Amino acid sequence: MADVVLKGLNKRFGDNQAISSLDLAIRDGEFVVLLGPTGAGKTTTLRLIAGLEKPDTGRIEIGGRDVAGQAPAERDVAFVFQQYSLYPHMTVYENLAFPLKAPVRKLSIDEIDRRVREIARMVRIDHKLENRSTRLSGGEMQRVAIGRALVRRPSIYLMDEPLSSLDAKLRSELRLELKRIQKELGSTLLYVTHDQVEAMTMADRIGILAEGKLMQVGTPREIYSNPANLHVAARLGQPHINLLPADLLEGARPPAGTKTVGARTEHLEIAVSQNANAQVDWIEHLGDQNHLHIRVRDHKLVTLADPYIEIRPGDRINLTLRDPLYFDAGGQRLA
Amino acid sequence: MATPAPIARRVRGLSDRAIAWAFIAPAITLLLAINIFPLLWAIYLSFTNYRANRPNAVVEGVGLRNYERVLTDPDIWQAMQTTAHFVFWTIVLQTVIGFALAYLIDRKFRGHAFWTTVILIPMMLSPAVVGNFWRFLYEPQIGLFAYAASMVTGIPTSEIRMLGDVTLAPWAIIIVDTWMWTPYVMLICLAGLRSIPDYIYEAAEVDRASGWRQFWSITVPMALPFIMLAVLFRGIENFKMFDMVTLLTGGGPGSVTEVASITLKRTAFESWATGRASAFAIILFVAVFGLANIYVKALNKVKQR
Repeated sequence: MADVVLKGLNKRFGDNQAISSLDLAIRDGEFVVLLGPTGAGKTTTLRLIAGLEKPDTGRIEIGGRDVAGQAPAERDVAFVFQQYSLYPHMTVYENLAFPLKAPVRKLSIDEIDRRVREIARMVRIDHKLENRSTRLSGGEMQRVAIGRALVRRPSIYLMDEPLSSLDAKLRSELRLELKRIQKELGSTLLYVTHDQVEAMTMADRIGILAEGKLMQVGTPREIYSNPANLHVAARLGQPHINLLPADLLEGARPPAGTKTVGARTEHLEIAVSQNANAQVDWIEHLGDQNHLHIRVRDHKLVTLADPYIEIRPGDRINLTLRDPLYFDAGGQRLA
Repeated sequence: MATPAPIARRVRGLSDRAIAWAFIAPAITLLLAINIFPLLWAIYLSFTNYRANRPNAVVEGVGLRNYERVLTDPDIWQAMQTTAHFVFWTIVLQTVIGFALAYLIDRKFRGHAFWTTVILIPMMLSPAVVGNFWRFLYEPQIGLFAYAASMVTGIPTSEIRMLGDVTLAPWAIIIVDTWMWTPYVMLICLAGLRSIPDYIYEAAEVDRASGWRQFWSITVPMALPFIMLAVLFRGIENFKMFDMVTLLTGGGPGSVTEVASITLKRTAFESWATGRASAFAIILFVAVFGLANIYVKALNKVKQR
């Protein structure tokens, strides 16, 4: 395990600036999640660290040493690809043992066997060790792929949306398991996803990427309650943050220069009263919660309401703000 | 009003099954006429003393005598050995060179598409053309092959008689067949190599597998079903090799390049021992068919891994 530092990374593919001056420091034993939409440069960042791509400019340090000139094999990283990328002609056991058989490791057959079985138990695939890797379900394949990374003790684990192709139930199970395993091993892990739930639940710190730029890095709490700009604010929160003109609702104390007010559920107070300023258009019942679709003049808002609230579509309500987020004309957050 | 109805119903009444039969009947008839019937007829003839140059002679059943004579004939065993030698070496050379070429082309260097086309040219020629112009190339006095070989080895051209020398002639036909059909093997191997996704190599790279190890534990096993397919096709083709050998050496000098199909043709159309030739043909057919079946089983096993 080691610290990983990225300094001023740039990478361009043709006309597309995939990564622009990216700085990131990952501490030893830390679980960092890069969150961003498709094409934000998440995968490219991982591939640059692994050495599968070369940066145009910038520095990559693993454990204090500059790895710029090193091949992937020399960098001592483990990579979990988005596609399962198992060796299709090998059994689960052979797939897990493959990285351990590299001659540089000089491991005995007994040692390899012990490690393979230990990791197989950890990712709960030990009952299928002799199966061909192509004869597994999607979830099992991805466990093997994760296991093949975990079986080594590299400087850093790089994981590229490893759970994205799994169904919801398996995804939430593996999410917990992965977090547990990472804590157990104390491993350094850089994880890429577009799923905010994965980011919020697993990360020690989250980095928000957009168009090749790292917008903000911080703990899930910080990113959620103190977003640096509109983009970051819009990445997190379900339902989506409501972006309103500064003077639309009462209760705000916008600082000078405020153009937009960002209001999530916790920033909105609903009162059923005579002097109503809003109307409920319709309600989505999700069981444990309701999504209220509200109209204030020409603006539409979505907010959560507890399932017991006595509101029906068409009702008039009074909506006020409580400590919302303020953004200037450029989308930057104002204190 | 009642009369037209039954006709319409009868036409419309053709069942799907009947329509299906109507469509495949011409193909089946042809197949029966030019494949199945001759095969059955040859089986019948193989148990008789029929001679095609004496159509009016009395045909008698001879039981298994034809088979007995074929299997105990030293000339035929010699021809089988010649065939085995030819098949073995053409497959080894074509597979090794074909795979190596495919591996190089798959590196996608500059101009790889152009070189692919160039490499494929021999395969597109007619075997008759290839046989003829290699005969000129092999010509000791004026042939380019002898000239080049003499430059490299220092042996005078008059002694490089590729088609006339008993030790060189078998290799002469192996060289021509390899020259002509290696591109075919390369094409199949290339398809195999292209079917291996890049991320497998990237995973192996990150897993610290050396280039050597990647080649042997990923490239070769994953391309193996394709390689085996190429070997199967070339094996069946060369087992019945006839045209090119006939054009190049006609089985000579002596009978050192007399492969099974040439012996078969001589038995049938020079000795006119039609019954015995039929028996030989059936034996060859069963042998190729049996070997190919065993091989396909192995191939399927490899594919299912």
